[in-house]
Amino acid sequence: MVEYASLIMFAVVFACLLLGYPVALTLGGTALIAAGVGILTNTFEPTFLFATPNRIFGIITNQTLIAVPLFVLMGVILEQSKIAERLLATMSKPFGSMPGGLGIAVTLVGMLMAASTGIVGATVVTMSLMSLPSMLKANYDPALATGTICATGTLGQIIPPSIALVLLGDVLSNAYQQAQLSLGIFSPKTISVGDLFAGAVLPGLGLVLFYLCYLIIVARLSPSRAPPVASTEAVNFVEIFTSLVSPLLLIFAVLGSILTGIATPTEAAAVGAIGALILALLTKSLSIKSTLIIARSTTKTTAMVFFILIGASLFSLVFRGYGGDELIKTLFEGMPGGVIGATFIVMLVIFLLGFILDFIEITFVVVPIVGPVLLAMGIDPIWLGIMIALNLQTSFLTPPFGFALFYLRGVAPASIKTTDIYRGVIPFIVMQLLMMVLLIFLPELATWLPQQIFGRP
Amino acid sequence: MGAGGNPNNKRSDAMLHRLITISDRTADLIGNLVAPLTFLMGLLTCIVVIARYSLNMGLIPVVEAVIYLHGIIFMLGIPYALKEQAHVRVDIIYSRLKPKSRAFIDLLGTTIFLFPVSLFLIWSSIDYVSLSWRMNETSYEPGGLPWVYLLKTLIPIMACLLLVQGLTEFLRSLLIILNDSVKTQAK
Repeated sequence: MVEYASLIMFAVVFACLLLGYPVALTLGGTALIAAGVGILTNTFEPTFLFATPNRIFGIITNQTLIAVPLFVLMGVILEQSKIAERLLATMSKPFGSMPGGLGIAVTLVGMLMAASTGIVGATVVTMSLMSLPSMLKANYDPALATGTICATGTLGQIIPPSIALVLLGDVLSNAYQQAQLSLGIFSPKTISVGDLFAGAVLPGLGLVLFYLCYLIIVARLSPSRAPPVASTEAVNFVEIFTSLVSPLLLIFAVLGSILTGIATPTEAAAVGAIGALILALLTKSLSIKSTLIIARSTTKTTAMVFFILIGASLFSLVFRGYGGDELIKTLFEGMPGGVIGATFIVMLVIFLLGFILDFIEITFVVVPIVGPVLLAMGIDPIWLGIMIALNLQTSFLTPPFGFALFYLRGVAPASIKTTDIYRGVIPFIVMQLLMMVLLIFLPELATWLPQQIFGRP
Repeated sequence: MGAGGNPNNKRSDAMLHRLITISDRTADLIGNLVAPLTFLMGLLTCIVVIARYSLNMGLIPVVEAVIYLHGIIFMLGIPYALKEQAHVRVDIIYSRLKPKSRAFIDLLGTTIFLFPVSLFLIWSSIDYVSLSWRMNETSYEPGGLPWVYLLKTLIPIMACLLLVQGLTEFLRSLLIILNDSVKTQAK
């Protein structure tokens, strides 16, 4: 019984999370209660808890994670200054006149937007408010329209520079160090957020390509589902140029400087944020009031992310104190199918957890527990990171519990049936699964680019 | 409490509302003071990048100042975000509940999760922080900022503010539950 205390605690915490009290406090609170019970019954060593303040100080001084508030700032500026909205409006003019063109414009804008926010709910809501009305007005099949929006809204997980990949990169790099130390390697190899960004480029672009092909095929086979938009005004190339080039330049500057090693993700994020601010000021699209909204919104999102990290560290300290990581290791090593079986189980668990938890919680709670064990069994850290990201993205899309579907339902007009949304996302889920299968048989899709850029052994 | 409530109840209700308002205003003030620092963080980091490439200079104090700002923003932002309801919840069930049931969950969560967490953080960080003050702990980087003990003090400060905000949320939930029961009794 006592040896399974860690797993019982895990089950209890998920039951408590369903109550709906803030995640960070539920994680930390349950852990403290579990530790208290353990101390009273003499099954838990209280010294494990003494590490807490130092853990929190480690979170404050973690250089990699400083990228988070800066990327959030960049995303919120782009959102508040309506740069993305104008981008969609201008992009849909030249594209709109071809069959399926509006869907293509939405996908491309979603890709760029996703890169700058990376919080599923926010992207899906913004994307639907921006594009759903115009797609419905153009007589798009509601299922196709909502499916496209959900899928492109979740791209934020995988298209760099995404906040999700920054968090995952930090957690995986710790897990990788631990895995190598446990194997007796005392000069461990490292992976960085940059590695993960580079690894995500090909699978991310691959997904966008899948989406675009699907839209083009649908528009060809049944034109009534994705009709062309009758354009009333002449295409103004100067306007397209100005509204398209500036945000594109910004995203490519941020991503390029990370991938070429000119700047760390944190520095690139800062340049991106200040760049976005300058763009917004140049186009006179920010008032003092909206500037304050941006600052407050950034503060709240940052505090939310880091509080979960604090709650999750408390949770993992207690989990470890109960011998949880040893237990996971024994369970995984006895798994039928060895490393493949273990990876499959982890992916399945993460997929199911994705129904109730967002990327942040899963990254901070689950990955530190299973990561070191899987990596010590010989899994490539970049491949694992990209698989987790793809897996979660699929989970967020899957009916009936997918996150993205709830957010879309919340902002979609009542005329759209929930079953339309479900029907609409199925082709996209198939494409997601296809990409994951591709990645299993062709891991180089994720590992080749980082090797070329950073020369990882 | 009877229907309509006796005057004593009403007076204490009004006092509780005042307390909540004062606490909310304080939280807003802290939030508004901290929030603009996000822009400063971005600006300082850009300066570091520019200095490195154009002047070939590493600005360690500025790099560390960004870390301090980051710590201040999210640590002091945590209680503010609690007041603003910005901490994510798993809301599959919660979002479908009536306000009164939500208030019950919040009251329960505040009591069994928030209070223990903030009290534990205060208790466990006292020794940690006071050691740092006694040592006058400074940066381990050459030329780094000498206020590591202040940075560490953010932990108990956050925990205290969280406790105060938690008490406010406790009262808020309590009032929702009590007022609601008064109303239903009056029917």
